[in-house]
Amino acid sequence: MSKIETPPEDLVRSDKAQGDPLLSVEKLTKRFPIKRGVIFQKQIAAVHAVEDVTFSIFPGETLGLVGESGCGKSTTARLVLKLLEATSGKITLEGQDITHLKRRQMRPLRREAQMIFQDPYASLNPRQTVGQVIGAPYKIHKTEGETKRKVQELMERVGLNPEHYNRYGHEFSGGQRQRIGVARALALRPKLIVCDEPVSALDVSIQAQVLNLLQDLQKEFNLTYLFISHDLGVVRHVSDRIAVMYLGHIVEIATAAELYSNPQHPYTAALLSAVPKGHAGAKLTNRIVLEGDVPSPVNPPSGCPFHPRCPQARVKAESDSEEVPENCRTEFPPMGEVAENHFGACWYPLEKGGDFQRAAQA
Amino acid sequence: MAAEVLLEVKDLKVHFPTPDGVVKAVDGLTFSVSRGETFGIVGESGSGKSVTCLTALGLINRDQAQVSGEIVFMGRDLVKLSNEDLRPIRGKDLSMIFQDPFACLHPFYRVGDQIIEAIRCHDDMSKKQAQERTLELLSAVGIPKPRDRFRDYPHQYSGGMRQRAMIAMALVHNPSLLIADEPTTALDVTVQAQILDLIDRVKQEFNIGVILITHDLGVIADVAQHVMVMYAGRAMEIASRDEIFDKPLHPYTWGLLESIPTVDAQIEGLVPIEGAPPSLINMPRGCAFHPRCPHRFEPCDNERPALEDRGGGHPESCHLTANDKAAIWGKREAQRNKVAS
Repeated sequence: MSKIETPPEDLVRSDKAQGDPLLSVEKLTKRFPIKRGVIFQKQIAAVHAVEDVTFSIFPGETLGLVGESGCGKSTTARLVLKLLEATSGKITLEGQDITHLKRRQMRPLRREAQMIFQDPYASLNPRQTVGQVIGAPYKIHKTEGETKRKVQELMERVGLNPEHYNRYGHEFSGGQRQRIGVARALALRPKLIVCDEPVSALDVSIQAQVLNLLQDLQKEFNLTYLFISHDLGVVRHVSDRIAVMYLGHIVEIATAAELYSNPQHPYTAALLSAVPKGHAGAKLTNRIVLEGDVPSPVNPPSGCPFHPRCPQARVKAESDSEEVPENCRTEFPPMGEVAENHFGACWYPLEKGGDFQRAAQA
Repeated sequence: MAAEVLLEVKDLKVHFPTPDGVVKAVDGLTFSVSRGETFGIVGESGSGKSVTCLTALGLINRDQAQVSGEIVFMGRDLVKLSNEDLRPIRGKDLSMIFQDPFACLHPFYRVGDQIIEAIRCHDDMSKKQAQERTLELLSAVGIPKPRDRFRDYPHQYSGGMRQRAMIAMALVHNPSLLIADEPTTALDVTVQAQILDLIDRVKQEFNIGVILITHDLGVIADVAQHVMVMYAGRAMEIASRDEIFDKPLHPYTWGLLESIPTVDAQIEGLVPIEGAPPSLINMPRGCAFHPRCPHRFEPCDNERPALEDRGGGHPESCHLTANDKAAIWGKREAQRNKVAS
């Protein structure tokens, strides 16, 4: 096995990280073509879903991927599992380059990487019993041994009653269904599980149950998670490291505690300040409310994708004639180490606290 | 400042008979909302938050529901009014913003025309005047270039703008009370912050009362002055925002507060509420929460606790005594702070 070239971002490691990366992704890009015409189709534009994304995940840790809807989180998840074909870039799983593997070549590797989906109502086949759903991976991979016993053990492990083996998905509540999804993902004892918004469809009291289950399983089976969520509270709770995405780009990546206490990218800071804090005393007034909406990924802004909404860029603009500094408008800022173990893609990273307060008032 | 009470709900019950049994969606609810305040209703899905408000607006099918109790709004009991009599109130003095701004605007009509229609429903106004009023409102809710945006179709608006347009529509007749049913659930956090700010500003500018329904305690902490925590169609407790977050008196509220991961601090292990919400058809005897309550004791499983103010202007429904509660919450909070630090 050849040694993987590690891009600089991989210097960020959490305490839990061990050895070589389990999964690494380099300059991953996905563009969905927009076509016009019936017979002679011509590509007229493209949705820039994921642009130049680089990160890696080490065995045993959880990488959180957070961002608003449409920022490319789920596309990234699908790309790394090769449920979608990347436009360019490189995906390495356990040291093996899987970027251009065919479906059949990919199959043995699927044992190593599984997925938990967002909507527990849509991700279970309504015509299959729980036993069939959770047993399907064994059938596909033709594993030896008694499937029923294995499935029932799994059901017990994730907190379902094994006697419900013959029930159908609709007989379960949302939280229980998500447990079925977890059991299915766990069936082949994968190393990596991609969790795409696994608790977003659940009520808060149930959400905590599923999050705790995922954490217990991680300890027990030494799992590695790529955890996608739009909920910054949830991401902080489960992740060792967190990557923030905006319009297809990773704009900041750091360990969880560092990112929340010392955000360097203005977008991260705005995102954090927009989250309701969930306790009294948090006042509306200290909030940085971003103006406008996320731009369309069909025509992403030039330079830094965040510059049209960035309060920091407005502060930094030197002459009055221009609203935004020129480099923000023309060139995408390189990912640089802004603090120890903390990388951000911004020309004018925030100084701890100070700058941004001024930016918010301006 | 004694504010004018806008809405008073007394022992409201909304039951839906079904072939499997009676669904007790709302089961004895009492609360009131004053002018100038944001009254937050928080609860999980199926706890009866939305049904309560739909009942107030007369938007549930009376043939299929048994409604009892009173909803007094500006001196009239909305439960007793017929559909005809409700019409002059609905959308005028009492208006509503719904959860899904994608589903609430008609895709075939221009946004401006839809708002004009809402105006001309109640006011005898010329099209021209209505258009002026619409433009005024669109700019008041922060839609950029209202003159151009007026002629757009809903699909040309983003999610946040649609919700702004819905708010503009709800405001056309200067209502006294605005009901917002999960107004930001379908939106991203940065847009959510914009919309919550807007609702707060509108509340102050128009001096109205707002009922904000949400499942997100964080949203409540940000904008509400009073909070009602609902569970299985019943009120668990009603108090000011600070009381709910600093001195909650009901085990369900404790559970909720402990099960939510926050961005402020990393907690080692969330404390989930065990089990799942009860079926509204086979409600547990006694307190609806007792099967999931870690502090249940003898009377909980056969005697339903009434929502009572046991001093302090903080009505709650739990059999535990005030001293027990203070002790338990103190312990749970200490535990939580210990883990957090």
